[in-house]
Amino acid sequence: MKTVKVQAQVDQELCTGCRTCEKVCPVYAVELEKQDGQLKVNIYLDICVGCWNCEQRCPEHAIAMVPCEPFDIGTEVSDFDYAEIEALCKKARFHPKQLMCYCTATRAEEVAAAILAGAGSPDALVRATGVGSGCGIECNQTILRFLEAAGKSWQRKKGSYQWMGRTMTAWEVPQEIRTNFASFRFDSDEELFDRIVDAPVD
Amino acid sequence: MYNQPLEPAPTKESQYGVDPATVTMRGAELENMTSVPLGELIPDLPGVIYPSDKGLAAVRAETEAALESVDMSMITEGKTVNILASHHGFTFLGGFPYAEMLRTIKDVVSVRTQAKQVRLRAGLGMRFRETEEYIKTHGLDEYFEGKAIGIAPIDAGIPIETELGTLYGLKKAYDADFIIHAHNSDVREVHFHRQVDRAVKPFGMSYARCETRSTYHMNMGPRAANFVARAIFESPFVQEKFAFAAFMIMSPAGAITVDADNDLYAINDRTTVGGMKHYGKIISLFGAIDECIVILDFPCPVPYVFASGVIYANMVGANIDLFDLDNPLPPYTWYTETFYNEHGKPLIPEIPPVNPAIKAVVHNYAWIGYPAVFFAEHTPTIVVGAAQAELFNRDPMNLNYMKHALLADNLKAAMEFAYRTTGTDKVMIFDGASGGLNVSRSLADHLLKVAPEVNRRVGEDLMPKWLVQRDIDPGLLQQVA
Repeated sequence: MKTVKVQAQVDQELCTGCRTCEKVCPVYAVELEKQDGQLKVNIYLDICVGCWNCEQRCPEHAIAMVPCEPFDIGTEVSDFDYAEIEALCKKARFHPKQLMCYCTATRAEEVAAAILAGAGSPDALVRATGVGSGCGIECNQTILRFLEAAGKSWQRKKGSYQWMGRTMTAWEVPQEIRTNFASFRFDSDEELFDRIVDAPVD
Repeated sequence: MYNQPLEPAPTKESQYGVDPATVTMRGAELENMTSVPLGELIPDLPGVIYPSDKGLAAVRAETEAALESVDMSMITEGKTVNILASHHGFTFLGGFPYAEMLRTIKDVVSVRTQAKQVRLRAGLGMRFRETEEYIKTHGLDEYFEGKAIGIAPIDAGIPIETELGTLYGLKKAYDADFIIHAHNSDVREVHFHRQVDRAVKPFGMSYARCETRSTYHMNMGPRAANFVARAIFESPFVQEKFAFAAFMIMSPAGAITVDADNDLYAINDRTTVGGMKHYGKIISLFGAIDECIVILDFPCPVPYVFASGVIYANMVGANIDLFDLDNPLPPYTWYTETFYNEHGKPLIPEIPPVNPAIKAVVHNYAWIGYPAVFFAEHTPTIVVGAAQAELFNRDPMNLNYMKHALLADNLKAAMEFAYRTTGTDKVMIFDGASGGLNVSRSLADHLLKVAPEVNRRVGEDLMPKWLVQRDIDPGLLQQVA
């Protein structure tokens, strides 16, 4: 769950219509449209989750993050059968109580609940839980692993830089690499993950 | 007789920190503070080229000398070259020596190869305009004739086929015929990289998309993750472009030389050994502190503030041996952070606790732009000044930081509270002071007392184990500076 306290605001005078903001937005809250013959930015505040990707990458410094009336985005875990949540977490190889997003404190159980509630794409999961709306970096793979475990297929928005694809996990490292590069401790780290995934839920 | 405190690193104008004018007092100005020269704690530290009376000229000379033996014949007149840099290099010693190394590389490459397109691509962490700020501060845009940019992990990506399947690099890092890997050797994030492939890491981080960085921090495990960078570096795509690497070699006291080589693994072995040799003792010394109040007082996010070349995140984990690969999890890494439940209880019993010697943290001056709530959750934290608190409250990465921290009007009030509630007068200041540590007199006495035994233990007991764990020839120990 995340409390959104700031949202993006564009200065149309400075905007040159380069589309960078559109491409870096994790939830596709930014679109450009022609106004008086010029491309201008539209930020959909009902979608914006208050990360700072657009503000940070705008080459013209045309976007500011401004305080908004705080509102929560999140999915209530208790609305769903916890056995189903646990099963989905296990399939994605996470403990239900494991932290998924350092910035918003979103945990695996909430991401699983959001999927059970119908979220079927990375942007939908961000909007449903707040996961991925802080630094926008580190939890990228947790989102994609969950979607794959749930059997969700999704398409990247054309032109977007975001959500390029799921990558390898500890469980999938080929044996040849494990053997040839033993000092990286692949097996021991996999065992550590397994102990986490299998730990009891208090 | 106690030394005067050293001059702390200056505050810095940045969108990630409070207005420097609001930082009205530095930790080093508090009563009973002193400094301990690094040479008194670790007598065998090598001499430094910077800071020194030769200034940046020494950095230029060392860089030119290191590049003399590097083969640049693959770069010909019409070829394009990206010098790949990282924000980390700009955070020590004001960024001056690193910026000078980058300028010198450009000059030498331009003269020797006649290449006209020598660009600077500076990677960064989570503050997506940070390297833009450094580029401006050091005039690098002008020096690179308008061809110096910051590259962020959410910028356009490029798939790279590796032994670990498809990983993702930053398009702008690789949009040249050749790349030069220009980095620094300080151990810095040893809690993450564990001094395994230290010199290779930026290929999985500074030059990589968020998918790859998340692979490192979420998918692979705390030690295995280091193979991510190696997989990218060894990919045919990167190998075809890689020309050479140049590293500013650091010790806790400053820059000691510049190393350059066409063989990154040769640099990797030297920086691995040098890092353990030069930083192993100071980090182990931090681990020998029995109790203290920490003051954060440096222009960087919470875990990256410096004391004697060591970042605060290393102090947080100094209760275990961070170089010992038999310890799977440091007390702070992003893996460790995910392994606590919402009530702060570890999911499995073997999660090591945050360094219990840190009794309180006084956050006098540190930046936003890094998820730092873990630190406030695990250690009593007092933030100085409402402006700083407000900055954290609005940071999308730190929305919960102030939920766990107290607010004090000023540094003196924060320290009075910390002294009273912890019962200790030992204070350690992470303020980037050069050549020594700013600490309280009581902590200075303690450090000087325990240092000889720590030095002996690292040299005789720990270093041999660290080398064996990394399959490194102990003979290299004598060869590195």
